[in-house]
Amino acid sequence: MGFGNRDVPAVATDITSVRRRHRLVLLGLVGLLVFVIFVAIFTGYTGPIAPSGGDRLSFKEAIQGIFGHTNDSVFFWDIRIPRVVFAGIVGAALACAGTAMQAIFRNSMADPFIIGVSSGAAVGAVCASVLGFGAFLGSLASPLFAFFSALVTVLVVYSLGVVKGRVYVDTVLLSGVAVAAFLGAVVSFIIYYAGERYDRLIPWLLGSFADARWSYVEAAVLPVVAGALVVYLYGRDLNAILMGEETAYNLGTDPDRLKKVMLGVAALMTSAAVAFVGIVGFVGLIVPHMMRLLVGADHRILVPASTLFGATFLIAADAVARTAVIGEELPVGIITALCGGPFFLYLLRRNRMRGES
Amino acid sequence: MSGNKQRVVVWNLWTLVAVAITALASVTAGYYIGSSGHTENGTQASYSVEWDESGNITKLTVTDDYGRAVALNGVPKRIVSVSPTPTEILFAVGAGDLVVGVDEYSDYPAEATNRTKVGSFTLNIEAIVGLDPDLIVSSDLVPQQQLDQLVELGYPYFIFATRDFEGVFKDIRMAGVLTWHIAEADALATSLEARVNEVALKTLAAGVTKPRTYVEYYPYYTYGPGSFGDDLIRVAGGVNIGHNLTSEYPTATSEFVVASDPQVIIYASTSNATEIASRPGWNTISAIRNGQLYSIDEDILSRYGPRIVDCLEVMAQILHPELFDS
Repeated sequence: MGFGNRDVPAVATDITSVRRRHRLVLLGLVGLLVFVIFVAIFTGYTGPIAPSGGDRLSFKEAIQGIFGHTNDSVFFWDIRIPRVVFAGIVGAALACAGTAMQAIFRNSMADPFIIGVSSGAAVGAVCASVLGFGAFLGSLASPLFAFFSALVTVLVVYSLGVVKGRVYVDTVLLSGVAVAAFLGAVVSFIIYYAGERYDRLIPWLLGSFADARWSYVEAAVLPVVAGALVVYLYGRDLNAILMGEETAYNLGTDPDRLKKVMLGVAALMTSAAVAFVGIVGFVGLIVPHMMRLLVGADHRILVPASTLFGATFLIAADAVARTAVIGEELPVGIITALCGGPFFLYLLRRNRMRGES
Repeated sequence: MSGNKQRVVVWNLWTLVAVAITALASVTAGYYIGSSGHTENGTQASYSVEWDESGNITKLTVTDDYGRAVALNGVPKRIVSVSPTPTEILFAVGAGDLVVGVDEYSDYPAEATNRTKVGSFTLNIEAIVGLDPDLIVSSDLVPQQQLDQLVELGYPYFIFATRDFEGVFKDIRMAGVLTWHIAEADALATSLEARVNEVALKTLAAGVTKPRTYVEYYPYYTYGPGSFGDDLIRVAGGVNIGHNLTSEYPTATSEFVVASDPQVIIYASTSNATEIASRPGWNTISAIRNGQLYSIDEDILSRYGPRIVDCLEVMAQILHPELFDS
C-alpha cells in the first residue's frame, strides 16, 4: 500500500503475484463451476435438492441413479444432465462472445446480440413456428431456421459497416441497433397477423432450456468450444485494440482483421446458442463486467474467466428456473435478469466506493 | 351498507339452493358435477329486468362471470364478440344475427367468419367504435385495460369466464338472458347438462379405475388446479397429473411429466405424437410404452361453450373405452 513498493524489483514481484492471483482466480472459477454442476444435477423434481414438493430422493439414491442403472437414471442421464451441460455451453458462449464484443466496440453497453443475432434468430424461430414447425418442437427445423436467419442478419449488419475492407465499428453498432429494431417490428407483425399466440412464444423470446437434449449439445458444442478458443488466443490483440486502433497497429495487431475474426466467431457462437434456447438476455452483457471487476481488463485472463463464469451463472439460473415453482418451467431470462441485476449493481457500487476511498 | 346486506342474503340463498341440489343429486344418482368449491355459482343466470307500459324491456341488468352487474338499456341489438367462446355461445342460443363483429379467432360456426373482424388479443378499437355496438362480450383472455378503454368510450362489456361445467350451463343461460333468447338457451343448457350427466354417471361411478392423464394443449403447456381442463379431465374419468402443480395454466417440466408417469397422454392438434414420444426420457412413460397417445381438436378443448361437451364425450371415450360402445 505504501510508496515503498514503487521501486523496480517490487513491480516485478507485483507482476508475478498478479499472475499467481490470476491463476488462483481461474482455479477458483473452475472449482465453482464444478460445484454448481454437481448441485444442479442433484436439484430437480426427482432429486435430493428442491425448494419443496416433488419426488425426494436421498443423495445415495441419486448417486445410484447416476452411476448405476435404476429407475431414476432416466431423470439424470436423459433429462437433467444434458440440460445442465447445454446451459453451461450456452452461458459460456454468450459470456465469451460478450467479452469480445465489448472489446472490439470499445463500448461497455455492447453484448453478443448487438450485431443483430437475437432479432435475426427470433425472425427465424417465429417463421418456423408460423410455418408449422412449432417454436418448441424437438425437431431441428426451428433451430436451423433461427441459426441461419441469425447468421444472415449478422452478415447484413456487418456489410453495412464495412467500406473497402475497413470495419467501422460505430457504423456496425448503429446498423445493428437499427436492424434489430426493424426485425423486432417484423417479429411483432408476424405474431400479430399470422395469428401466432404471443404467450406461446414467450419461452423462446425469454429463453428456456425446457427442451434441451443430447442432440442439441452435440450440435452446439463444437462451434462454441472452437469459438471460445479463438477468442482466448486473440486475448493479447483484444488488449491492444482497447488502446485505440493506431496503438494496436503499432503493437503488431491488424485491427480490421481482428474485428472481422471476432465478429465472425461471436456471431457463430451466439447463433448456435440462441437457435436452440431462444434469447437468454443479460448473461452476455453482465458476466464480462462482473469478471472485469474481479480480474481486471487483461483479456488473457478476462476471456477464460468470463467463459467459465458464464457457464456457471447460466447453469445456476436454469436450476432456479426449473425448480422455483416445482414441476413448472419459468423462462430462464427472467431469472438471469432478476438475480444478476442486483448482484451486478452491488459489485459496481462496491468497486466505485473502493476506488474513491 | 344495505346493498351489501342484500347481497349477502342473496348469496346465502344461492348457497342453500346449490347445496340442496348437490345433496339431492349425489343422494339420488350417486355422483355430482362440478368441483365442490364452485357449487355456489350454480347453473342459473342472475339478472333483473324492467319493462315499460307497452311491454318493452327498458332496463336489463345481468351479472357476468366476474360478478359485475352489467346494466343495459334494453336488449342489445348489436353485439361485438371479442373471443371465440362467447361467439360460439351466442350463435348456439340462436342470437347469431345480433352479432355484428367478431375477433380473428372466432371461426365457428362458419357463419361467424363473415362478421366484421375487430382484432384479437389486441383489439381494433376503431373497428369496434365503427360498428357502434350496444354490448361487447369477451372471455377473460382479452387484456382488461382494452375493455376498460371501451367502457370509457361508452361500450359496456360482459365477461364469460367459466372454470367448470356448471359455469358453461350458466354462461349459456346468461347469453340467453342478454339476448332475450331465454327459452332456446335454457333448452340448450338442459340438453347439454343431460349429456354431461350421462357421461359422468358412467365415469364417476364407484369402482371405475381412473387413469393418470396428461393433457397438453401446446407442447408442455397443461392444465393446473382450478382450471377448466382440470375439471374436464376429472369428469371424463381421469386423474389430471397437472392437478399437483401450482399455476392454473402451468408449463410442465419434462421431468415432472416423466416422474408422474401418465397412463394416457392427450394432446391438442398443435402437437404431434412422434415428437412427444421422442422427447428425452419420455420412452419410459407408461402411456408411450403402451401406445396410449390421443389427439383432440384444439378448438373444442379450449373453448368453453357448447362444444366442450363434445370434447368431454371424446375424452371420456379415450379414457374409458370399456364404458362406452363405439
